[in-house]
Amino acid sequence: MATNHDQNMLAIAQTCISLAKSAGAKEASARAYRVRDVSLDYRDGAVEKISEATTRGVALQLFVDGRYSTASTSDLRPEALKTFIGDSIALAKSIQPDPFRALPDPALYKGQTAADLQLEDPKYAAVNAEEARRIAKAIHDAGRAVKGAEAITSMTSSFSSNLVENWMVTSNGFSGSNRSTSFFVSANVSAKDADGRRPEDSDYASSRFYGGLGDATAVGTRAAERTLRRLGSKKGETSAMNVVIDNRAAGRLVNMLVGPMSAAALQQKRSFLDGKLGQQIVSPLMTITDDPHVPKGFGSRKFDMEGIAAKPRVILDAGTLKTYYVDTYYGRKLKMEPNGGQPSNFIWKLGAKSQKELLSDIKNGLLITSFLGGNSNGGTGDFSIGVTGFLVRNGAIAEPVAEMNLSGNHLEFWKKLVAVGNDPFAYSSQRTPTLVFENVSVAGV
Amino acid sequence: MEESSGLTRRTVLGAGAAALASVAMSDLFSTSSLLAETGPVPGVGYFARFGVTDKLIRDTIGAALSKGGDYADVFFQHRVTNNLNLEDGAVNRASANVGLGVGVRVLKGDQTGYGFTEDLTAEGLRRAALTAAAIADGPAKAAPVRFRVMEQKPNRYPVKIRWDDIRPQQKLSMLNGLNEKTFKTDSRVKKVSLGFMDQGSVILIADSTGRIVEDAQPMTTMYLSVVAEQDGRRENNSINRAARSDFSYYTADRLDRMAKEVVDKTVVLFDAVQPPAGEMPVVMAAGAAGILLHEAIGHGMEADFNRKNASIFSDKIGKAVAKPFVSIVDEGTQEAARGAINVDDEGNPVGRTMLVENGTLTSYLHDSISAKHYGVKPTGNGRRQGYEYAPMPRMRSTYMLPGPHKRDEIVASVKKGVFCELFSNGQVNIGAGDFTFYVKNGYLIEDGKLTKPIKDVNIIGNGPKVLELIDMVADDLKIDEGGWTCGKDGQFVPVSQGLPTVRVSSITVGGRAEKKG
Repeated sequence: MATNHDQNMLAIAQTCISLAKSAGAKEASARAYRVRDVSLDYRDGAVEKISEATTRGVALQLFVDGRYSTASTSDLRPEALKTFIGDSIALAKSIQPDPFRALPDPALYKGQTAADLQLEDPKYAAVNAEEARRIAKAIHDAGRAVKGAEAITSMTSSFSSNLVENWMVTSNGFSGSNRSTSFFVSANVSAKDADGRRPEDSDYASSRFYGGLGDATAVGTRAAERTLRRLGSKKGETSAMNVVIDNRAAGRLVNMLVGPMSAAALQQKRSFLDGKLGQQIVSPLMTITDDPHVPKGFGSRKFDMEGIAAKPRVILDAGTLKTYYVDTYYGRKLKMEPNGGQPSNFIWKLGAKSQKELLSDIKNGLLITSFLGGNSNGGTGDFSIGVTGFLVRNGAIAEPVAEMNLSGNHLEFWKKLVAVGNDPFAYSSQRTPTLVFENVSVAGV
Repeated sequence: MEESSGLTRRTVLGAGAAALASVAMSDLFSTSSLLAETGPVPGVGYFARFGVTDKLIRDTIGAALSKGGDYADVFFQHRVTNNLNLEDGAVNRASANVGLGVGVRVLKGDQTGYGFTEDLTAEGLRRAALTAAAIADGPAKAAPVRFRVMEQKPNRYPVKIRWDDIRPQQKLSMLNGLNEKTFKTDSRVKKVSLGFMDQGSVILIADSTGRIVEDAQPMTTMYLSVVAEQDGRRENNSINRAARSDFSYYTADRLDRMAKEVVDKTVVLFDAVQPPAGEMPVVMAAGAAGILLHEAIGHGMEADFNRKNASIFSDKIGKAVAKPFVSIVDEGTQEAARGAINVDDEGNPVGRTMLVENGTLTSYLHDSISAKHYGVKPTGNGRRQGYEYAPMPRMRSTYMLPGPHKRDEIVASVKKGVFCELFSNGQVNIGAGDFTFYVKNGYLIEDGKLTKPIKDVNIIGNGPKVLELIDMVADDLKIDEGGWTCGKDGQFVPVSQGLPTVRVSSITVGGRAEKKG
């Protein structure tokens, strides 16, 4: 539903292209954008903070005399744009040539899905400040009502929403736009431990549609329960053990595995997955499809940041690496066909069991519920990351542990995956299920 | 809260990137404008070029207080950021981003209303002010009649050569020279990439008490990254430098040292091992190891967490938390340091704050809200990423004062442990006090000597416990020149950190464990 305002933004992107070409750019792309953000924090019985703003601007890629520059501005007045684009082209001319910079092959713009991805809630505008306050208070009050809530020292609940609009044009024939909404509610809870520590935990829900948040008060209840379960946590023993990673936490580890699949990492010799295409790199239990067409998905799109039509593809098939993420620039450097350089949504081949059943199966070990700090070396695959969670004894969640650390190398670690849960995490684009590993290295006392 | 060294990469989309294209980047640090400010000058200096007047500010603050807020302020910012990237032997990517906007904040007790706009017209400002005003619900209050300029603002980042006077060719020569130098250092080097940034940000803060102040804040960073190969194996590493300074910061000597350091720290990894896992003594090398303080105590002392009763340090002021030879400061006064500021983002003066003095917890880091809550003076820690964000208590440059021990004595004292030298990032849980930092380079210590190099290991501890376990502090304090960026609630601000050589008698090293039994 294009309004006059939309057409103005599209016209601005088109104007940028013609200004760039007349100022000496051989090719150009322009993306005009507008983002509206609203947020509200509610703490311990009162609104803590409200914030609301709309920002907009245009971001350009300029291809000038075999050279490349990018620029962005929010001053959209015609005379201002003209000066800015002229300055940016002069900047491009001052640097060294790069024969690999080019817009995508226009053939790759074709074949966008005709499906409605359902990324915009038509009721977005109806979720006003009053509703934000109501929902944040309800989440807060639900958390304060759980059993044992008297140990809670502080609780903050939050609501935020945004509306993102993009209009993209390139000088070699692409024109497209998209609109998407998202809603996010969360609760952060601190409680006081007998030894003076104040363990904290949180929970959240997010959705493209306001109605998709479900009963948001459950977020408050879960955040409070999660925090209270953490009272009295201790450091566990250093050992190699069975580890279950909660579906909410596991996305961080998956990102560490996927990042080195990019053509940029390969070309720059910073990928431990270089040369591994077609080889089994992880457990045969891992089959993941990258699907940009999931209705209401957080990673869903019809075209990527370059305008390339987004298509589903298999990333891992029974543990075998089936593809890399290739953008136009690094694809040209590597002589690889561009296929869109960014992950979208992951669809996992799920297991049959719930987290509870998986805990029961491992008998003894560690359930990791969140990560703290740490990092991963994409070039070598070595990683080391702080963990908190619970010991698992006799197949059930036992005492809380903290201040421990998980280390390994991705090429060994993911082969130790022995089970995948039936519970993909709905509030992220990685949609990670609970993952079970055996005999992995955890440091503690 | 998480920290990382190196460039903060943010996509333009959703980041509120803004620009006023017709404004040239010249004048940002011109001696004819802001930095020449001496004696009483009209409140609006630099921002007059954007049509900002005393009256516009008064009207905006008036609208902000129209619903009965206790206090209101405006934060104008014009920032120009230039990046050059070198990859595969050529400076082949340039980018320019210009941001211009204003944030309006209203306080009612501890409550905050915030709005911002990139539309600097009377109507644009009024809309943002009314958005922020809605935090309150009562009769209007009056805006100040006139503004008084902050007197005796320090000059902690004097700029001799404006970035705008540096021709692109000079920057290209420097980057190409550093690239060649890095390759020449060792034949095993196969890839070098460089990221260079210069930025000028000018801010204006005015508030409902009638204060007004402008400040011009330069920043430059250089990121240098290397991949080396040996016998079919690859290792990579990176280092960076940052300063609120001008082109003269990049002396031949500094660039030479960068090339040598990044290559040394990469090729040593071919011999590196994974340290054992578990609790052991850890020696933190002088310099970047200040990340220990940033995570173990710095964030927990930010007064917003304490005001909310959510920090592990919430009831510890005046109590002994460390050995008597441990003193920890947070200050913004060191000339040209990345964490230096002449004034904070609420317009408060910036000095030195003692977090720990001779082992006793002394002061939190305050913004205006928490200072009012605790009935103390603000400490100049109210900072924000930009006009898109409300300020909150943040660190500036955090370090430990020199102690009574010697570096060699400290290393010699450890029978079996690790020595940590180069770091990439860290994070802390404020309430539980658990924190981590990630070690890129270090050594095993065996029988009092540095032996095998180690790599890629996370270290995890608990803030108050680790403070108690700091049992040796050397006399060799070094403030790191790395491009540290501190993240909190989605806002990123530049910080500095430093440390003398320090021993922690026991902390968990996240190495590789073997199955017991």
